[in-house]
Amino acid sequence: MVVNLFWFFIFPGLLFMTVAGGLLSWFDRKITARVQFRKGPPLLQPFYDFFKLLLVKETILPKHGSAFVFLLAPLLSLFGATMAGLFILLPLFNIETGFRGDIIVIFYLLTLPSFSYIIGALASGNPLAAVGASREMKLIISYELTFLLLVAAVIMKSGQQFDLNSIITAQQSHSPFIGSISGVLLFIAGIFCIQAKLALVPFDMPEAEAELASGIYIEYSGPPYAMIRLTKQIMLFILPALIVALLMNGMNPGINIVWLILKILGIVLLLTLIRNTNPRVKIKQASRFFLVWMNLLVVIAIVLIAFGL
Amino acid sequence: MNEPLKLFADIYTCMYLQMLIIIPLAAGVLFFAIPERFHSVKGILTLATALVTGYLGIALYSADPQMTAQGEILGRRCMALFNADILQNSEGFLTFTLDGLSKMIILFISILALLILVYTLIYNKNARVSNYYPWFLITLGSSYGAVLSDNLILFVIFWGILGITLYKLIPGKDEKSSAAAKKTMILIGASDTIMLVGVAIVWKLTDTLSINNISLETNNILTVTAFLALLVGSFTKAGAFPFHSWVPDYSETAPASSAALLPASLDKLLGIYFLARLTTNLFVMTEGIKLLLLTIGVLTIITAVLMALMQHDSKRLLGYHAVSQVGYMIVGFGLGSLVGIAAGLFHMINNAIYKSGLFLSTGAVERQTGKSDIAELGGLSKAMPVTFAASLIFAMSISGVPPFNGFASKWMIYQGIIDFGAGEGLASRLWFVWLGLAVLGSALTLASFVKFIGGIFLGRREPAMTKISEVPFLMWLPMAVLALFCILFGVFATGTIIPELFTPVVGAFTFNGLWSSSFVSLLVLISFILGFLIYLATGRKNFRTEESFIGGESAEKLGASFPAPEFYKTFSEFRLFSRIHERAEAKAFDIYDLSKKAVFWLSGGLSNAHTGVLPGYVIWVCAGLIIMLLIMI
Repeated sequence: MVVNLFWFFIFPGLLFMTVAGGLLSWFDRKITARVQFRKGPPLLQPFYDFFKLLLVKETILPKHGSAFVFLLAPLLSLFGATMAGLFILLPLFNIETGFRGDIIVIFYLLTLPSFSYIIGALASGNPLAAVGASREMKLIISYELTFLLLVAAVIMKSGQQFDLNSIITAQQSHSPFIGSISGVLLFIAGIFCIQAKLALVPFDMPEAEAELASGIYIEYSGPPYAMIRLTKQIMLFILPALIVALLMNGMNPGINIVWLILKILGIVLLLTLIRNTNPRVKIKQASRFFLVWMNLLVVIAIVLIAFGL
Repeated sequence: MNEPLKLFADIYTCMYLQMLIIIPLAAGVLFFAIPERFHSVKGILTLATALVTGYLGIALYSADPQMTAQGEILGRRCMALFNADILQNSEGFLTFTLDGLSKMIILFISILALLILVYTLIYNKNARVSNYYPWFLITLGSSYGAVLSDNLILFVIFWGILGITLYKLIPGKDEKSSAAAKKTMILIGASDTIMLVGVAIVWKLTDTLSINNISLETNNILTVTAFLALLVGSFTKAGAFPFHSWVPDYSETAPASSAALLPASLDKLLGIYFLARLTTNLFVMTEGIKLLLLTIGVLTIITAVLMALMQHDSKRLLGYHAVSQVGYMIVGFGLGSLVGIAAGLFHMINNAIYKSGLFLSTGAVERQTGKSDIAELGGLSKAMPVTFAASLIFAMSISGVPPFNGFASKWMIYQGIIDFGAGEGLASRLWFVWLGLAVLGSALTLASFVKFIGGIFLGRREPAMTKISEVPFLMWLPMAVLALFCILFGVFATGTIIPELFTPVVGAFTFNGLWSSSFVSLLVLISFILGFLIYLATGRKNFRTEESFIGGESAEKLGASFPAPEFYKTFSEFRLFSRIHERAEAKAFDIYDLSKKAVFWLSGGLSNAHTGVLPGYVIWVCAGLIIMLLIMI
């Protein structure tokens, strides 16, 4: 019990994820700055931002809607991200505890942040936030099936195992799943799903600074906003980690932690480059992209898996 | 079989069992005699009756250990009706069954009926439905009867009475509601007739009508026909595709207390109970039947939820979800494995809890505001805090947000599907289709409940609704209790609820999945407490309430909020989807409407013969006479 609380709050839970997510967020911002020929922020900038929001800034509550739900939503999102991250990182770091979740549980917990943003946005009573919430929900519907089929394909590859530990073991005893044609297709679909889950640029219509003024987050300020920023940073860390666990062999014991870091950095680099070189698409285009093309891609991968490729 | 009495060590169980059926039926018939003017008195008397039957139900649930232990063999038959001679030689007919499954269903029928009744005491004060209470009791008695009967004919009789009470529990005062009532009556009645065909075939094949003694292989055309005929009955009652079309209409027009009682809870419990009997007792499923059930299951999930997404009448939206959720249960039973069956039953119980809760909360909103259209409502969270909190919990449960109960049962269904995928055969090979569509259905459910919660309780309040207040205690209490059930069934799912409630029914099974519901729930609680402490510690002096920022515009001038019907408009811009949706709204897929058209087309041909000219009729009569004579000679 106490040990489990340690896992949840310290390592590899909230504290560890905060640090790792903050550093990755710096990496993302630095790359973005270099792409745009700027100098970029110092290493600890994400942490400065976080503590400024948490300690200095005031909390503005909405006059309409429900203030309680408005404040509850960021907590729920942070919980969802941390819990999912815990269930991803424990098997990834080969830590054996009795406290685990299977991949379906992870899948559902990863939806929790988006769901809480939507509820929080609607609770703020702001029409711009409601437009953002509607877009976020449509985005969820669009990528959810692709993401699930991706998970299903990985389950098939590992012989109907749906526990992350067994999936990693199955790869380590043979070869990483990405080393096959179907694995490559799944990796491509996975990258786009993460991009949408993180609401990064081609799919950032729920936030849409230009027309919605941050959409779903428009009314948030101070500590609640700090929680949301933290959730987003954690998601930036755990989603690439999930792809590493599902397709890229996880982590072998020993010195291979360097490899693990490089894999995660590589995926984040890819995400950042995509977000810096693409314009925002319309929600309808995004829906079509996932519902038709990405699903097709994953189904092709599944058919290939059925033939053993 | 002819010596049923001796089989019981405990005669009281047998008596309880009969009382459970007879008391509500008798009381119901008796209460017709009390004039409608005293309907509060009627309500109290009904509550007393429901309490008695509730007690009996719980007593039966914890019935004597000997019977439970050997329930499979011993506890099936019971015939001691008043110890009277008038029913001699009817032993083979009046047989009842009491095993884990029927006991569990009885327990939940009792709990749900009691809660809904408490709600109705206030809700039905101005007698929305005449003779609500007598019909309520008859419904209750017949439901008990249907679940407990072992004889198929007896079962069909109780089942038929339920169709009538369904018809009587809708007011039928205006055109729309009487049309819905008629549609319900015809669909249910037709399905009962088809069921009778199934019963006849079963009797012909096995020479017995006792559910317990039948176990047919579905390997020839006759047994498959019997299975399908009985399946139609189960699907129509539970509201599965393509026999679902009465559910949305009924939910939209019936008062919330009736909708919560029948389509939302009792009909689900009964329909799925019968499905469980069909797939586990009466018939042995083959690969083809599994494929059929799984296909119907996912079709039900997806089609109904897509329809729900586009609705903006809150009650109709819930009606479509009442259909969609049945799909998950059918998928669970279609898997045929122990995990699948347990998951189907668990989802049935969960669905009955949150769906009746949702109907009760829309009823509460409608009572306070007079409106049920999501587009006209908004911002009621502060005015009706308990209803809002309960609805939010129900909505999160039905959309499968962890750690609520809906997640627990869906999670079981998913792992059942993944296990099923390891098997051979076409249905197993297609496991990712079942899984994908089931999860997509869950996401779409979430989407339509975001609209439901956002449209009714969140956002901005209409100026006309500033004086709305919370419903009376007796109305919000049942909702709060149901919400508590949702939380408890989710939090203690893996540790307590599944082993205690469902393992005795289906037998021991193992999980392959990993989900420690209680500990995760504890972490949720700790996180919330810590979070609010952080809010208070960091922002104690800094809380400020402000008008929304809308890019510098004034909210009042802009006309306030983003209307709920616009929420998923994007999807209706997809051509394929919108075309199917238009056809569905025009009732092109409604089996009732299709058969209505067929009947009118046929009778149109016949009515052409009615010319109203007398010599014409004389010719018809003579021609008929000649034909008859020719045949007879």
